[in-house]
Order: sequence, then C-alpha cells, then structure tokens
Amino acid sequence: MRSNRLTTLVLLLPWIITFVVFWLFPLLFSLITGFTDYSLISRNPAEWIGLENYKELLTDQDFIISIKNTFIFVFGTVPITTVIALIMAVLVNQRFKGRGIFRAGYFLPSITSMVVISLIFTNLYSRGGYIAGLASMLGFTPPEHGFLYDSSTALFSIMAMDIWMSVGYYMLIFLSGLKSIPSELYEAARIQGAGNIRQFFLITLPLLKPVALFILVINTIKSFQVFVEIFVMTQGKFETASMVYFIYETGVTTAFRFGYASAAAYILFAIIGIFSLTQFILMRRRHPLW
Amino acid sequence: MKYILTILFVLMAITSWAETTIELWQFWTDPAIKPTIQNIIDDFEKANPDIKVNLTDLTWANGHEKIVLAFSSGTGPDVVELGSDWIAQFGANGHLADISKYISEDSASFQGWGMANYKNKIYGFPWILGTRVIFGNKDLLKQTQFGEDYIPISFDDLKNSSYKIQKISDNIYGWGSNTAEKHRLYKKYLPFFWTYGAQIFSDDGKYCVLPSLPAVEAMTYYKFLHDSCGYVANQRGIEDAFLDGKIGYIISGDWLLKRIELENRDINFFTTLFPGRKFPGKSFMGGEFLSINDASDNKDEALKLIRFITSPENQIKFCKANRSANPSSINAQEDEYFKSNVHLQTFIKQINLSKNPPVIPDWVYIENIIERAVEDVLFNDALPGESLREARSKIDKLRK
Repeated sequence: MRSNRLTTLVLLLPWIITFVVFWLFPLLFSLITGFTDYSLISRNPAEWIGLENYKELLTDQDFIISIKNTFIFVFGTVPITTVIALIMAVLVNQRFKGRGIFRAGYFLPSITSMVVISLIFTNLYSRGGYIAGLASMLGFTPPEHGFLYDSSTALFSIMAMDIWMSVGYYMLIFLSGLKSIPSELYEAARIQGAGNIRQFFLITLPLLKPVALFILVINTIKSFQVFVEIFVMTQGKFETASMVYFIYETGVTTAFRFGYASAAAYILFAIIGIFSLTQFILMRRRHPLW
Repeated sequence: MKYILTILFVLMAITSWAETTIELWQFWTDPAIKPTIQNIIDDFEKANPDIKVNLTDLTWANGHEKIVLAFSSGTGPDVVELGSDWIAQFGANGHLADISKYISEDSASFQGWGMANYKNKIYGFPWILGTRVIFGNKDLLKQTQFGEDYIPISFDDLKNSSYKIQKISDNIYGWGSNTAEKHRLYKKYLPFFWTYGAQIFSDDGKYCVLPSLPAVEAMTYYKFLHDSCGYVANQRGIEDAFLDGKIGYIISGDWLLKRIELENRDINFFTTLFPGRKFPGKSFMGGEFLSINDASDNKDEALKLIRFITSPENQIKFCKANRSANPSSINAQEDEYFKSNVHLQTFIKQINLSKNPPVIPDWVYIENIIERAVEDVLFNDALPGESLREARSKIDKLRK
C-alpha cells in the first residue's frame, strides 16, 4: 500500500513541481508584491505599502479606462460569439453536401496564430483596405485614416475580428453538445406535432445548457484577458487598452512597477472570479420554459 | 610523458585563467550591419588576445525588458548598448558605472555626452547618434507653383507648399503625419515645440512649463498640417507612401536613406534642415550608447572594448555598412564618406541644431504624458492649451 502511494507520488512529481514553480509560486508571489512598491528596475528592496497600490489604481484614469474598454470588449463579444456559434452549430449539424468543408472552414481561424490574424486584419482595416472599400460600396463613410486609427471604431473593429476568429471554436463545442442529444427526443417531439422551432427551444436549448455554460465561462475568461490583438493592432492607442495591456505596460515595459501591476492583476482576477461565479449561479437556475 | 602532460595542463590552466571574457549586448541584428559588428569584435580580440568578447543580440521588441530583468537579477552584461532615453533610468537606479573620471581624454572628440549625463555623472559612451530631417519630394513640388528646387525655410513656407501639394490630386498628400504610435508621435511634435522656443522644464529643471504660448503655437501649427494635408499612418506607412510618391514632405531619419539605397527606389527627393521662424529650426536628437554594468568585475577591459568600438575608424566602418549619418566621433564626421554625400551632410548639420529630451529617470513616463497630449489634440480635437495644461498637471503629480 505504502509502495503504491510512493509510486503515485513519484509519477505525479513532475506535474506537482511544474504547478508549484510556474503556477502556485507566481500566484502567491504576485499577491504579496501587490502590497509592496516592488519595481524591477530599482535596486532598493521592496517596501510593504499595504493597500496603497489598490488605492492608487482606483484613481488611475488609465486603469479605469482599461476597465471600461475590457468590459465593452467582454459584453460586446461574448454574447454575440455564443449566439452565432450556436446558430452555426445547428446549421452545420444538418445533412447537406460539403458540410465538412463548412465545419473545417469555420474552425480554421481559431487554430491560426492570433498574431498572424491581427496583422492581416490591420491591413484589411487600413485606409484604402478591403474593409474600407466594402464600407464605401455599402454606402458608409469609412474613417478617414483607417478603422484602427479612430477612437470611435478601433475597439469595435478589434471586437469584430475577435468574434470572427473565435466563433468556429465555440461552434465545434456546441456541435459536440448537439451530437450528444438523443435523437429519440426529437422523434418523440415530432410525433407529438412539435415543429423545428419548438424542438429547438424545448429540446436543443435546454439540453445544451451545460455546454452553453462552459462556453460562456471560458469565453468570458478569455475575453477579460484580451491582449495579443490589442498589442499587435493598436498598442493600446485609440482607446483600446485593455486591463491586461495596462498590466503589461505598467509591469513589464516602460515603468516596471511590478507591485502596482500585480495589484491590477489581482483586481482582474477578482472581476473574472465574480463573473464566472455569477454565470454558474444564473445558469443553474431553472428557466420557466424549461 | 607524464611530465610533459603536466606542464601542458598547467600552461592551459594559466592561459585560460589569464583570459577575461566580456559580455556585450547589442541591438544591431540587421544582416546589413551584423557582420560588420562581428568584424569589429574579431579585430578587438586579435588586438587583445587576453580578452574574449561574447556577443549577444537584442531586439527592439523586448531588449529593454531583457536588460531590466538581467540587471535586476544580477546577471547583466559587462557592456550594454542603451538608447539615450534609458540611460537616466538605469543610471539613477545604480545599474551603470559612472565613467566620468575615465573620459577626459575622449570628451572633446565625441558628441552626445549630454544625453548620458545624469546629475553630473556620465553613464554611457556615445556611439551612433541620430536625428531627424525633412525629406521632400521634388517631383510633387514641380507640379506646384514652387518648382522642384524649392526648399521650405520658414514654417509658412512648409505650410503653404504642403497645402499646394495636397491640392494636386485626391491621392496626393502634403504632409506625412504620424498616427498615435508609441515612442514616435511626440518625437515629431518636439522639433516644432523647440523651434517655436518652448521648453518642457524651467531652466533650473524644477518646474514643468509645458503649456506655454510657444508650445500652444507649435501644437496649433502641427495640428494644421495634420488636419489640412496630412497622410496619417505609422512611420513605416508614411515612409512607404513617401517612397511611392504620394507625400510632399515627411520627417524621417537616416534609415530612410538606407531604404532608398538598398531598395533601389526611384524617387526624386531632397533632404533639408528643419524650417523655423529663424532658419534652421531644431530637431530631435537621440542616440545609441555603450554603458558599463556597475556590477561588472571587468570595467577596465569593458572600457577598452568600448573605446575600440567607438574609435573613429570603426565608427566609419559601421556607418558605411549601416548607412548611418551621425557617428558620435567628430573625427569620423570629417571622413570623405560623409563629406561627399549631400544627404549625410544634412544630417550632420542638423544634429548640431538638435535637442535631446531631459535626462531624467522619469522621462519614460513624461514622454508618455506628452505623447497623450499630442494624441488628444490630433485625434480627439482637444484644445492645445487645455491638453498641455492637463499634461503639466500629470507631470507635476508624477514628480511630487
């Protein structure tokens, strides 16, 4: 028995070491540094300053703007991505010729590098780019210097790209959820005279609830952590700086205020935690229709 | 046999013991220049067989972070190339060696010491300097009343000729105007700011005097160029459009000369000094410095290496390979290579009329604040005076 435990421990050891060194230690270290004035560039030892970093963050206009931008991003992308992914999953779940090509095509952007996609879209969104051309054709006036060089369009342009990129991935998860719904339920519904729409709302949607919850939670977490596309496309300019971009700029570039950035990271951690928990609670409630 | 092997072993041990290894971190990774850097290092090692140099390349994308992490973890190199904006930040935090007492013999022969001087201590040896000048498209000027030989001398000249170029057609622009691009936009505003006579700090450095009348005038002028005839893009985009013959005037550095030459671009252009109320105006100056890690055990060897790299002959070698216009060595500037090229001469003249930002550790934050003020005026239609006043209050808060 003791030998078995020892073997288990030895086999788990590589994971435990990785977890402690690369996850647990940084997590606790940044929690502590959030209460200090630790700066990467300073030779002076870090001093304990209590809640000063948190107080300063609450009055830091750049941080407040980054929270606003992040919330716009999350509320603008998560619901739209989820709804489009669900519709697409239902559509590609039908039997028609070339269905595999559609599934693969929709999924393709989500396995492409975010940097590559961001660079392509930077070009598409530029002055005289294809999207400006398309907007003109449809009768809209595109921003004079390009979509990413205008505060009123930059963040929304990045959000649109993000939806386009991630919708295929969530479609695939919904698709796997659809496959797990027993076909007998639909047959029974059809016998009782339920049409496609009633079947969707009374069978598909309720049974997809766990999948939808999973998608909402991971998409929300991912969206709160938006960084790469902003770093590549606008460098946080034109009111696009997200919370993670703020943390990156404060902690690892320009200022190197590691303590301050750690405090900001823990605020983000708390926001994500609250949102995930709220989603779990809301989705567990029974819908009156279900 | 055993005896001979023992002697050989002892000799090898002594030889390796005697050799000093210097770690050098630098940013020149472009294939056009890297072999030259390596040749200079090889020559140094030949001339100093007791010193070995380990060369490490950095990139502009993450080099700054890498240097900070190395210094903070005590693994910094002996010699590091630093941009002029970073010297005060590293020097004030005790990472760089003060080389003031070693450079008395060099001081008169090199330009750029001011950018390495923080609180009367010198934290870096000037290597390659840089400034920006005005590039103009002669073919576009030819299509206006001004003609292809026109050179804008005053601010009005620049404004009027830009405006006329803009009128040539819908796809032609008078002025290349930078978008909100980090570390770039404020460098385009400051030449106008300084030429108008504005200052960031009072003469004693105690007070921020950013929102002065000349500063507002400079911002209003820059905004006019931006709004009335500006092609707005990032620096690369502006340069692309200029080389494609779409823009009348842009502000750029010697790297554009290199691009024109290496890409064989067919463009009829001129370079000129900054215009101003009194010609010539002031431009922005920066540079690359070689600094010694304060924690280095090999400071003498490090200084020897720096002197070798920055010697006039090696600077000329470097500038020829990289098409750089501004060696820090005054003797190097006298070389025929620079004298025979009219564009390089523009840069050499302009650098003597250029200013560098204040050498203070907080500059990295202040730069950001000024850049934000320019962005607000150009892209959010904020009033120049209000925007500069807001910037001053942020700077005051920072320096408290």
